[in-house]
Parts: sequence; structure tokens; C-alpha cells
Amino acid sequence: MKITSILTSLTAAAVMTTTGVTFASAESTLDIVKKRGNLRCQVGQPSPGYYNLDSEGNWYGLDVSVCQAVAAAIFGDKTKLEIQSVSSQARFTALANGESDLLSRTATWTMTRDTQLGIDFLATNFYDGQGFTVRKDSGITSAMELKGAKVCVTTGTTTELNLTDFSRQNDLGIQAVTFEDYNVRDDTYLNGGCDAVTGDKSSMAGNISSFPVPGDHMILPETLSKEPLASAVRHGDSQWSDIVRWSIFALINAEELGITQANVDDMKANSKDPNVLRMLGAEGNLSDGLGLESDWAYNIIKAVGNYGEIYEAYMGHGPQGIGIDRAGSLNALWTDGGLMYSPPMR
Amino acid sequence: MAIIKATKTPARPEPLSETSVLGWLRKNLFSSAFNTVLTVFTIYVIYLTVSGVYVWGYADATFVAETRRECYGNSLTGACWAGVIDWLDNIFYGRYPRDELWRINFGGLLLAFWMAPLWIARAKGKVLVGASVVVFYPFLAGYLFSGGDKGLFMQVMVSGAIVAFVINMANAIVGILKQESIAQFIIKRLGQANKADKKQRNLLIGLVAVGFGAAYLWQSSWTVEFVTWTKWGGLFLTLVISGIGIASALPGGIILALGRRSKLPVLRVLSTGFIEIFRSVPLITVLFMATTMFPLFMREGFVLNNLVLVIIAVVLFNACYMAETVRAGLQAIPKGQAEGAHTIGLGYWGTMGLIIMPQALKHMIPNIVGSFIGLLKDTTLVSIIGLFDILGMLRSISKDVPWLGLHKEPLIFGAILFFIICFAMSKYSRHLEVKLSAGSNH
Repeated sequence: MKITSILTSLTAAAVMTTTGVTFASAESTLDIVKKRGNLRCQVGQPSPGYYNLDSEGNWYGLDVSVCQAVAAAIFGDKTKLEIQSVSSQARFTALANGESDLLSRTATWTMTRDTQLGIDFLATNFYDGQGFTVRKDSGITSAMELKGAKVCVTTGTTTELNLTDFSRQNDLGIQAVTFEDYNVRDDTYLNGGCDAVTGDKSSMAGNISSFPVPGDHMILPETLSKEPLASAVRHGDSQWSDIVRWSIFALINAEELGITQANVDDMKANSKDPNVLRMLGAEGNLSDGLGLESDWAYNIIKAVGNYGEIYEAYMGHGPQGIGIDRAGSLNALWTDGGLMYSPPMR
Repeated sequence: MAIIKATKTPARPEPLSETSVLGWLRKNLFSSAFNTVLTVFTIYVIYLTVSGVYVWGYADATFVAETRRECYGNSLTGACWAGVIDWLDNIFYGRYPRDELWRINFGGLLLAFWMAPLWIARAKGKVLVGASVVVFYPFLAGYLFSGGDKGLFMQVMVSGAIVAFVINMANAIVGILKQESIAQFIIKRLGQANKADKKQRNLLIGLVAVGFGAAYLWQSSWTVEFVTWTKWGGLFLTLVISGIGIASALPGGIILALGRRSKLPVLRVLSTGFIEIFRSVPLITVLFMATTMFPLFMREGFVLNNLVLVIIAVVLFNACYMAETVRAGLQAIPKGQAEGAHTIGLGYWGTMGLIIMPQALKHMIPNIVGSFIGLLKDTTLVSIIGLFDILGMLRSISKDVPWLGLHKEPLIFGAILFFIICFAMSKYSRHLEVKLSAGSNH
């Protein structure tokens, strides 16, 4: 781990010094992507819900859908896409050095990353937060009751730091048991090696669903940290930022307007709502500033559906979903009390 | 009275304790009270392990299911092999398009047939066969696997490979039936056996040229669909990387080792520096440098094929290790051998190629095969930099929603696969050692 972390800082430093020179005379990213004929979209090593491989070798997941949405916005074809799976040590370097056009993976939007790594975070597509999983029969109902408990945690991430901070703030004396691989972490927990597991709530929900008896376990209500997972692009190409940002907003806006993959054709032809018509390119000139075709948003919805549909499919209760309830969470639409909010498209 | 008999007294039969199973048991397992306790204890431990593995891995295991939940429904404690079975295509071929899998299988078969004459005692021209594999096969296989439009160079190489393969097969068949090379056979058939060597050679070259023309025309009539390297994966990718690594590490290592022992100072310093630098850094660092740092120094937007970078890194890294193995082998050959070679008038290359190397390489076989096995296993490191080799695929199973959390079974399956491959390599190396040292008495 040490070598890789040194490498990460080394490469980040190298990127900082070279990007200025390298990208000064840059062609616009949109031109490069169009010329190449496909979008290079970076995800991570498979992570349930966000980006996974199925047994046929195809990528699927929430972040993969964002990649497909951007590809559809540019080319009108979601398959003109190359998914790059990059390890988390190299993720920002691979974006900054031009290998990837877009980073759509579980990267938390933090100030340091946004301001010091030569990249820009654009729009959050999932609000996560760290929490605890415990056995129901342990009688624990709040994280404050974890005094002196052994907690399993994966090492080398902010998760471990957050746990230590939380323990110190509340004087709990939590004993951290660290693991490199979360499968081993979960196995240890299941075999009684620790009293609780800590991790991002979304991924823990997915993991619980894979336990032998999911009903025996529960996630405690406390949230230790804010983890807004957002897409990012290289610093310095505003047009490209706009395209990615508004592609994500289009997904959210479509849900708000009630446009779905199934009814998008009908809506475009018959809707009376000017908001819908503007967005789908039936009237107005929304797409001019983006440098895309007027039906860009139509193509997105036609290809991947709206945000709510994507959420249900991969995060919710669809056949490939990991079963996280959306109602009442931060990921609900703002009209339902969540944080998913798109600026108006007009 | 004769004390010495004219005939040999027949040997008495061995005592029962030496020949019967019971005797063997008594002698080896129950010779004392302590050994008896030890034996019983060990048998008990073996029983526990074997029965545990049997119950988990077979008796309670689920082989057919759609999801891991179904496996749990069947048994909460047994293995869930259904997930591994569902993912077999991914494990072996990666994300390669499912309609095109025959290309990988065909490429593998081609290699097996191409190399087969090397193991057939009656086939002639083994050196040429080996050379043709190294020179032509990579291009044919490379085109077969990646596809797309053939450039002129590729067309020539593919045609060359087809001709070489056909000649090789014909040669093997003629060798098995008549125990002569294809060239001799054709010359005899055409009744040219008594003609001058030059005439025979021209005739053969003419035949090859005609064959090449035919192959060129034939291959230009078809192409295979383009498959980008990002879709390569699984065991296939592991074998491609380690295969290229193995094929080029030995020649590279020999060159570096000779360079390091050279009397030319520049060559020696360069070789030594190169070896020491690459040997002193971990492979994972080399891989990271190759895939993330290298593109920084390139012109913007210029994205190199990560696979090629990885292969170059693996080849260089292993050539350095191989160089030291080869050097050790060279060091073991007494100086008298080289001096003897010089006295009969051999130059540097003659001495190395005919006298020193053949002896040295024979000694090095165990080490070389050890490096090869190490290389094969090391290539799994590429899963860390985002290539989906066999380990990457095995680990992805536990992230696929239907099989969420299924991580033990895939890894055990991978371990078995690796064991089979590595054990076969090791067995073959033993066989090679025995065969090569058949003439000598050690």
C-alpha cells in the first residue's frame, strides 16, 4: 500500500507540473472525442451498484449509465463508448493525463481534489455516507452504543480515518480491525470476528443483501461522513464540463418532468409542456451552447432512461439492483425531500 | 569337499514383512508407540480436512443456480459453484465477443499443432519448426485475435504464417511416414535427387514462392471482425502476456547476460545498469510507471495501448531476471571449455553457440522453468492496473449482483487452474532434464 500511495503522490505531482504545458494548446475535448468516434469513460474496479461486469462481459451500473448518457448525448448511440477500468490509485492521473475523457466512478467530491489535482467535479449522481452494520440480536440500536466494540473496516481509505475520528469525538474507544478486501471483512464479521462493520451505507446495503440471512443484520441510523459521489473531467475545458454536467442534469430533469425511456417518443411528439418540448429539442435552441445536436437530451433518455429508472435498475430493486430504498434518502428528488435537483433547462 | 559351489544358491524369498502391505504399514507407520500415535493423529487430521472439503465443495455444494440466493436456499454452508460456472466464459476469455470465441480456441489449437512436431521424434527440421513458431505464429495469432483490416505488412506476415504452417504440417506427416524432411521428399518425387544442390534449392524456393502467392490471394479474400484489446481478458489474456514474456525473456536474457560478461566496457556497463535497475524495482512499480507515468511524457491525446505497455514492461523485467540465471549457468562452465573451443578455431559466436550455451542451458533448465512459472503467476499483477486477466475476472464475480459476495469459490477455482498449468510446466521441465542428460551420467 505504501508504495502505491507514494506513487500516487508522485504521479499527481508530475501531473500538476506537466498538465499546464501539455494541455495549453489543447484541441477541445469534444472535438477529440468526435474524431476518435468513441467516449473514453473511466470507472473503477467492479463495485456493486456503480459498475459491474455481468457474466456476458458487459458493464452495467449507475455510473456506467452516466457514461452511456454522455455517449448518447454526443453520438446519439450509447455503445460508442469505451469503459476503462482504472485502479483507485491511478484514477485522477489517468484523467489528468488525457487517457480518460470523463471520470464516472465512486469518487467523493472534496475540495482538495477539486482544486489541487487539475480536475473539476461536476454533478453529484449519488449521495452516500459512512455508517455501521450490526447484528440485530446484538441489541445495539445506535452507534453511540458501540463502546469498546470491535469494528471491521477496509484499510487505506477515508473510511478508516472517519471511524477513528468518530471514536475519538464520542470517546467510544472503538477497536478497528482492518482488512484489504471487503469480502474478507464481511466473512470475518459473519463469523463473529467483530461486532460491527463500517463502510459506505450504499455498499453495505448491497453486502447485507448477499449475507446468508440478510434479515439478521441492520444499518444503524448515524451517518459519519458526507460522501457526494460525482463525475469529474479535466480542468480547463468549459464546453466539455457543460456537456457532462447537463447530461447528468438531463437525467434528473427528465424524472422531474415525468419523461421515461418508454414514453419519450410520445412526450416529444404530443406533450403540451414547453419544458418538455424544450428539453427534448422539439422547440427552442437549448443545445446551441453545448455544440451538440438538438435531440441530445432525447437521445440520453431514449438510451438509458431517467435518473429514477437508472436508480431503480441498479441501486434499487430491479433484477440487477442491490436493493437500497430511495424514498426518504438523500437520493430522492427534491420534490420528495431528497437532494436530487437539476437547475431549470431553459 | 567343495566349499565353493559351481552354481549360485538361489536367493531366499524376502520376508513377509518386506513385501506385504501389512509389513510395510508396520515398518513405516506403526514402528513404535509414538509413531503409532502420530499416525493415528495424522490420519484423523487428514480425515477432517478431506471430509470437510468434500462436504463443502461437493456434497453440500450447488452447481446449478441463477443467483447466490438460490445457492443459499439449497444450503447455507456449501459451496456455490454455480457462480463460477456462470462466469466460465469470462474466466477463460474475458470480455471477448461471445460469437468470436472460436478465434481464440482456433489460435490455441493452431499453436498446439504447430509445436507438435517438436515432440515427435521422427519429424525432421526441429530448429526450423521452432524458428517458424517464433517468427510467424505471433503475427497470425495477433491478427486472429485482434482482427480488423490487414495492412500490407500484416498481409505478408499472415500469408507467410499460412505457408509456414502448411509446410510444417506436411513435413511432420512425411517425417512420421517416411522419416525424411519434406524437402527431400519433394525432390525425390520429382526425380531431381541427382541434380546439383543449387538447382534443387531453386526448385524449392520456387515452390515456396508459388505457395506464398496462393496463400496471399486466399488470405486477401477474408478478414475477421475487429476486437479491441480492452475486450481481451481472463485466462486468455494471462496466457498472452506470459506467453510473450516467456518467449522473449530467454533470448533477451541471453543477450543481456552475454552483454554483462562482455569485454567491451560500454556494452558491459549498459547491460549491468539495465539489469540492476529493473531488478531493483518491484514489478508493480514498473507496471504503474508504464501505464500511468509513461503517457504523461507523450504528446497530448496520444493514448498508447496499455496492453502493449504492460507486455513490454513484463518482458524487460523478466529478461533481467533471466539474464542473471543465464549468467549463473555460464559461470558454471569451466574455462577450459572456452579455451578448447578456441584451439579448434571457433570464434566468439561459435564458442558460445556450439560449446558453452548448450552445456550451460542444460544446467539452467530448473531455474529457467522456475522463472517461467514465477512469470506466469506474476502476470496476475496486471489486474491491479485495471486489466481483466484471470485474477481480475475471478475477483469481479463477487461484485456481480446475482453473485454478490461470492469470493472463495472463484479463488479456489483459480488456484486449481494455476496449479494444473504450473504443475504441467514443472513436470515437463523434469522430462526435459532427463531427456537432455540421457547421454551424461548425472
